[in-house]
Amino acid sequence: MTLTFLIHQSKAFWRSKNTGKSIAMRIVMGILILYLLLNVLVVAFFIDRILEKTYPNQEIIPSFNSLLMYYFLIDLLMRFQMQELPTLAVRPYLHLRINKNQLINYLSLTSLGTAFNLSPLLLTLPFLIKVILPEHGPATFSAYILAITGMTLTNHFFSLWLKRKVNLNAMWMLVFFGTLILLVSLDFYFNLFSISALSAQIFKSLINTPLYCLIFLLLAGIIYLINYRYLKNNLYLEELHSADNSHKSSTEIPFLGKFGMAGDLAANELKLILRNKRPRSVTMMSLFFMFYGLIFYNRPDFSVYPIIFCGMFMTGIFIINYGQFMFSWQSAHFDGILVSKIKTKDFFRAKFLLFTMFSTISFLLTIPYVYFGWRVLAIHFIMLIWNLGVNTLLILFFANRNFRRIDLSKGSAFNWEGVGASQWILSLPLLLGPFIIFLPFNLLDYPEAGIVTIGLIGLLFIVTRAYWVNKLIEQFQEKRYTIAEGFRNE
Amino acid sequence: MNNMIEILNLKKGYNGVTVVNIPQLSIKRGESIGLVGNNGAGKTTLFRMMLDLIRPDAGEVLSKEKNVANTEEWKDYTTSYLDEGFLIDYLTPEEYFHFIGGLHNKNKAQIDSELVQFTEFFNGEILKKGKYIRDLSKGNQTKVGIAASLIQNPEVLMLDEPFANIDPSTQIRLKNIVKELSREQQITTIVSSHDLNHVTEVCDRILLMEKGKIIKDIATNSNTLQELEQYFSVLS
Repeated sequence: MTLTFLIHQSKAFWRSKNTGKSIAMRIVMGILILYLLLNVLVVAFFIDRILEKTYPNQEIIPSFNSLLMYYFLIDLLMRFQMQELPTLAVRPYLHLRINKNQLINYLSLTSLGTAFNLSPLLLTLPFLIKVILPEHGPATFSAYILAITGMTLTNHFFSLWLKRKVNLNAMWMLVFFGTLILLVSLDFYFNLFSISALSAQIFKSLINTPLYCLIFLLLAGIIYLINYRYLKNNLYLEELHSADNSHKSSTEIPFLGKFGMAGDLAANELKLILRNKRPRSVTMMSLFFMFYGLIFYNRPDFSVYPIIFCGMFMTGIFIINYGQFMFSWQSAHFDGILVSKIKTKDFFRAKFLLFTMFSTISFLLTIPYVYFGWRVLAIHFIMLIWNLGVNTLLILFFANRNFRRIDLSKGSAFNWEGVGASQWILSLPLLLGPFIIFLPFNLLDYPEAGIVTIGLIGLLFIVTRAYWVNKLIEQFQEKRYTIAEGFRNE
Repeated sequence: MNNMIEILNLKKGYNGVTVVNIPQLSIKRGESIGLVGNNGAGKTTLFRMMLDLIRPDAGEVLSKEKNVANTEEWKDYTTSYLDEGFLIDYLTPEEYFHFIGGLHNKNKAQIDSELVQFTEFFNGEILKKGKYIRDLSKGNQTKVGIAASLIQNPEVLMLDEPFANIDPSTQIRLKNIVKELSREQQITTIVSSHDLNHVTEVCDRILLMEKGKIIKDIATNSNTLQELEQYFSVLS
């Protein structure tokens, strides 16, 4: 039966309407994952050296042991954020004469195929072979492997179980994060107990008694059974499908009321962002980008390039991150937009309103970077103007060429739905634009003039925006049938 | 200006198969049209071309003598509900009605007072329930879509399969609403349905589509239902 399910799933993949494109996507994604795993492998290979350098006063094995538990804690946190629940696929089978056990086994089995389950072993195996095997012999070596596999599986099924719990009741998330924060604060602030000491202790006893590794496997078995039983009792549509039954209220955004029709449309889009999972998480991720500057500005001798780059990203992150999927966000009701009495001009003006709003907020959030000098803030402001002048138009130019439907209810991490050639091509002018302008000035040793030119060009496009928007509207009128048709294909 | 809508040489095909092919069709102001035909007859495609959602391969749809593909004036007086793709599903029904009303320069109070007439039609399941449109059942979504097209005070109303997902009581209410619209307010209505009883009861003119063509154009009389039933039973 599991085989039949797998065959169905492969058919679903090959026969999906945009198979050709999604294969290309998968290849790109596969290469990306391979690259990441390769990085992991390189780190893994030198882990003994790294440990030696970081903890020069300790022996390698105890410091390795003491870090293992931290690794699995972080692993759990990452899984909780990014791992997807394989649920909806079973929907058409629920009413058929198929045992629930088979369905659950299928769900559990297919859920295992994620890079999260590969990386712990990849990361530790080289170290185990290089250090543990020669020092403690094959018994301990296999005990380590079994223990790490056990921990991986425990984390895997625990995070699945927890995510399902959270889907039904968000309280569980609070409990989970509360426990984590408690643990970490007990460890680092109050020094009441130490995760690293515990970790070192556990794996030390594993070295002494390799058979202890069975405990880890047992733990994995128990958590698998808990997950299994939980799924079995809750294999109902409404519970698999995270239905949030709380009372929804109608809200108004008075500030946008001043902008007429465009304001109403922008208010609707703001609701779109706040009330749907994927656009919400895209916007939340934009917030994290506000820390981007810290990576580059912390060095004593940072040049102008990173400021231009960071400034563009931090003030324009919403335009880039959210804008790259325009108008796909509205794919589910695009027909409705076309037939209602909405002027195309207002439709576009609403986008600019939204971009301006979010970019201004981003800019305000980057003001603390003034700590690194006034120059940083000034360049940020110039990049804000560049974003509003040039990148908005660029994004909307590509939006007219984007025909992919997006399901708003799915998460955004590793979600490639709606990603197509246009996003890749778009990134080129987006990333290179300001540098092409800046580079010659910098080579001639007039960096200030280069920055001012970027600002002036941005300003020029803001002033002449009406002209460009009319061009965009002409294209939109031409392309709207193709866009609407693409959006109708689920 | 007698003809509200005029269709000339309208053609649309996919992969060499003709889906719609209508040489000429005129719809007068205040007429109520019932569009019938089996699945794949081209009804929805015809609707979409009349609403400028699909580009025809050839021909044109004129609304008040203006091609719908070149102007947007028809949006001022044409409203429609074809499927859930017309609804903004992350809004509450109230927000959606207010938004739609705002497009026609009506304020919230006006919309709220106009919605009172739908109290019966909504049967207490739409307003003030604290749900987003996406959380409503399909039938209730249809109700939202129909009510949204009615509060825009249309001159032309197009509904694709409005009876399909709604309960019998609402079907009867909807029939009365459509009848009243065309007979008393001179609103041009175009309604498609698989239920022959409904369309013959509501519409004064029935268009029967088969493989993209209009093969029958009948003014409804007491024999129409029989005539249609005969046609469909011969096919099967």
